[in-house]
Amino acid sequence: MHTNVGWLALVLAAGSAGAQEAAMPARETILVRAEHVIVRPGHVLDGAQVLVRDGRIVAVGTDLEAPEGARVIEGRWVCAGFIDPWSALGVGGDSIGEANATAATRTVDGLDPFNLDHLRREALRAGVTSARVQLGPQARIGGLGAVVRLAPGLAHEEFVVSDASNLWMTAGLSQPTGGQFIQASEGVQVQGPERTPDPFDRAEAVDRIVSLLQAGKNYLIAQNEHRHELEDWTKKIAEKDAELDKEFKKAKKDREKAQKDAEEKGKKFEEKKFKDEKKPQAPRFDEDNEVLARAIDGRIPLLVGAERAAEIRALLAGTKELGRLRLVIAGGSEAGSKAAELAERRIPVLVWPMPLGRVRPDELDGHDLSLAGRLASAGVQILLGSGGRDPAATRDLPLLAGLAIAHGLSRDDALEAVTIGAARALDVADRIGSIEAGKDADLIVLDGPPLETTTNVRFTISSGRVVVTPEN
Amino acid sequence: MLPILLAFATATLPAISLPADGPLAIRAKFVWTGGGRVLENATVVISGGRIQAVGTDIAIPEGAELIEHDGYLTAGMIALHGATGAVGETQDSTRTVMPEARVGLALDGRARDFGLLRDAGITSILVTPDASGVTGGTSALVKTLDGIVLRDPAHLSLVFSTDALSSNREPTSKSGALALLNALFTEPRGVAAEARSGKLPCLFEVREREDVGRALAFAAEHELVGTLHGAWLSGEMSGAIAKSGLSVIVPVLGVGTPKRVLDAVARLEKDGIVFGFGLDAPWNHADAMRFSAALCVRAGLGRQAAWQGLTANAAKIAGAAARTGRIERGLDADLCLWSGDPLDLASRASLVIIGGQPVSMNGAASAAKESQR
Repeated sequence: MHTNVGWLALVLAAGSAGAQEAAMPARETILVRAEHVIVRPGHVLDGAQVLVRDGRIVAVGTDLEAPEGARVIEGRWVCAGFIDPWSALGVGGDSIGEANATAATRTVDGLDPFNLDHLRREALRAGVTSARVQLGPQARIGGLGAVVRLAPGLAHEEFVVSDASNLWMTAGLSQPTGGQFIQASEGVQVQGPERTPDPFDRAEAVDRIVSLLQAGKNYLIAQNEHRHELEDWTKKIAEKDAELDKEFKKAKKDREKAQKDAEEKGKKFEEKKFKDEKKPQAPRFDEDNEVLARAIDGRIPLLVGAERAAEIRALLAGTKELGRLRLVIAGGSEAGSKAAELAERRIPVLVWPMPLGRVRPDELDGHDLSLAGRLASAGVQILLGSGGRDPAATRDLPLLAGLAIAHGLSRDDALEAVTIGAARALDVADRIGSIEAGKDADLIVLDGPPLETTTNVRFTISSGRVVVTPEN
Repeated sequence: MLPILLAFATATLPAISLPADGPLAIRAKFVWTGGGRVLENATVVISGGRIQAVGTDIAIPEGAELIEHDGYLTAGMIALHGATGAVGETQDSTRTVMPEARVGLALDGRARDFGLLRDAGITSILVTPDASGVTGGTSALVKTLDGIVLRDPAHLSLVFSTDALSSNREPTSKSGALALLNALFTEPRGVAAEARSGKLPCLFEVREREDVGRALAFAAEHELVGTLHGAWLSGEMSGAIAKSGLSVIVPVLGVGTPKRVLDAVARLEKDGIVFGFGLDAPWNHADAMRFSAALCVRAGLGRQAAWQGLTANAAKIAGAAARTGRIERGLDADLCLWSGDPLDLASRASLVIIGGQPVSMNGAASAAKESQR
């Protein structure tokens, strides 16, 4: 009786936060044995094992033994945890509705690691372990997106896989929630229209994206010029210093002589002056242009939500000269007509394979489930996402991928789209997206091939923690 | 021969004409009869638009076309709620009580939207009156080809949800709506009398669980039979529904449907309630119905129950079990060949047959081979 009371008191004292932490399974040393291990799509090891330790995959092979004390998990199929590159799960409603973001606004600052636990658990049970979340998904500018793990209650370092996975903008949505375009050169802020945009507004939206990118490019050029000027200046100063050092004695003698001559001639001695070497001025720091410059330079991808052919065409034309820009079209309902150019320029399309009937926003008139298949057969890289509108939709990403398969996408392309393809596009492929030694241990154990509706996830491992088991 | 082969190789084609008069045999790796039987390497023989034979040791008739399919063969699916072919004709914004209105009379059987249903493997649809009044009249079950009528009238629509209400015409409250419904069945005439006699089932339009409760009480009071449509959580009242003998049409369950709703559908199965799936085409995508069923299966609904809900039990609910919904001798040849497991969303209807006539085929059908005997 006594012990029971003590235990109860302990639980009560621990409070809800304690309960939360207690609910998070510890990192374990785990050996996963499976009939088929999908290292990445197209590379399957039969009768293989995966060894997990300290949150990492330490070995993948066909002859691995379980270390002493390791937990052994057996299953039929193993693959990397699914990544939803277009999700709304993990950010608060304030972030979803954000209308005043600029390029430098960070989704990671609005993350809520505690909200919607039940949806996160359902997503984990469906095999989705990570997601890209984005503030202001409907805004003209949404700022920097983040890739997060979905397991609830993780500490920040484990929760956030990337705090700046991409820059996000939209063009031509029928109900944009605002989002400011900043004309950086003039420092003037322009608020978007509150009414439903007409074709001219939509054309303007693309123009603004292009001119923003241009401003970012100018900023980048100015920065680069400054760097070169600074290098030149530093070099020049060093040369002068060296010269002075070397000719110090001669210079001293010359000076004394000049001083003496001046005295003899009754003139005023004038000190010889070096011509001033002005230190070059750095361009005025601008946090938005810093981010835009990173995008222009290809250091982070730029995702643009665009559905209609007109916007996509204008966007492609306006970014043609930006050779290092890593553009990704999100949505792309009418991207089919530009498939050849998208393939040639290696611009991936993030497709939302949602079964839409007649009730749909105007910009989705051309939306069709066959889009992913059509683009893929034209050689365009495909990503698949749950649309970033509804946090509950992330759970159903595998079903949406199934629909894309039914309508023409190959199974390997679909699996790649929700694993390593998404990881690569968002620069987190060194951490997640495939089952390779050195990567984070984010993987799922299934009772059938992945992305089949009738396949069930038996175990989900996230960051080395077993967060889903057949029992829970 | 040649035209058929070409058709298989092409992505999507409108209805093609196979010999509708001559017999056709389909041999498939798996045949789901819909009566709970799964046959392996079985053959279905069709002629005169009807299923003539089904089994694993069927002799293929002389001169029959043979389609060999390395996948699944099932009965075509039946969508239980929608307005395809009657968009704009299923509602009347001024009149709220019009039991004699017949959706079947307003139907355009050649509407393009039917093609989307056929491509998805749906061979019949229950076209229903809009729920924006107290009663919008009677529903009709039609095939998704040429508006062939299977049953008209199929149900009398009675609305128990807030959809019947308006702020600028009566009724303005649920009590008011119920008063109008009660008036309809006091000394009933016409379709109301048919419903009262049990000859015409009713379609009880509900949303909330309280609507379900009032509909059940109403059905008991007036001794009505039929089906409940529209309540996500009707399964949480499955005990009471089971007692009433009514069936249930599960409304479309979209992406992200809460788990509680999916669990409620599983309870319908547990309590032995006959249920089918609505679609509300063309407002929803033709694949949305199979998506609903797939979501339920992932959340624990039995595969068999889910598939029956899309076919055999749907036919029962629509009052056409003697015509369609199963693969059985004597029934209409409304069939669908699938590229894989029909409950896997990654599978696709590769050939759809209505009344013995191949009407829709998708690229995936290239796997199907055919040869002449």
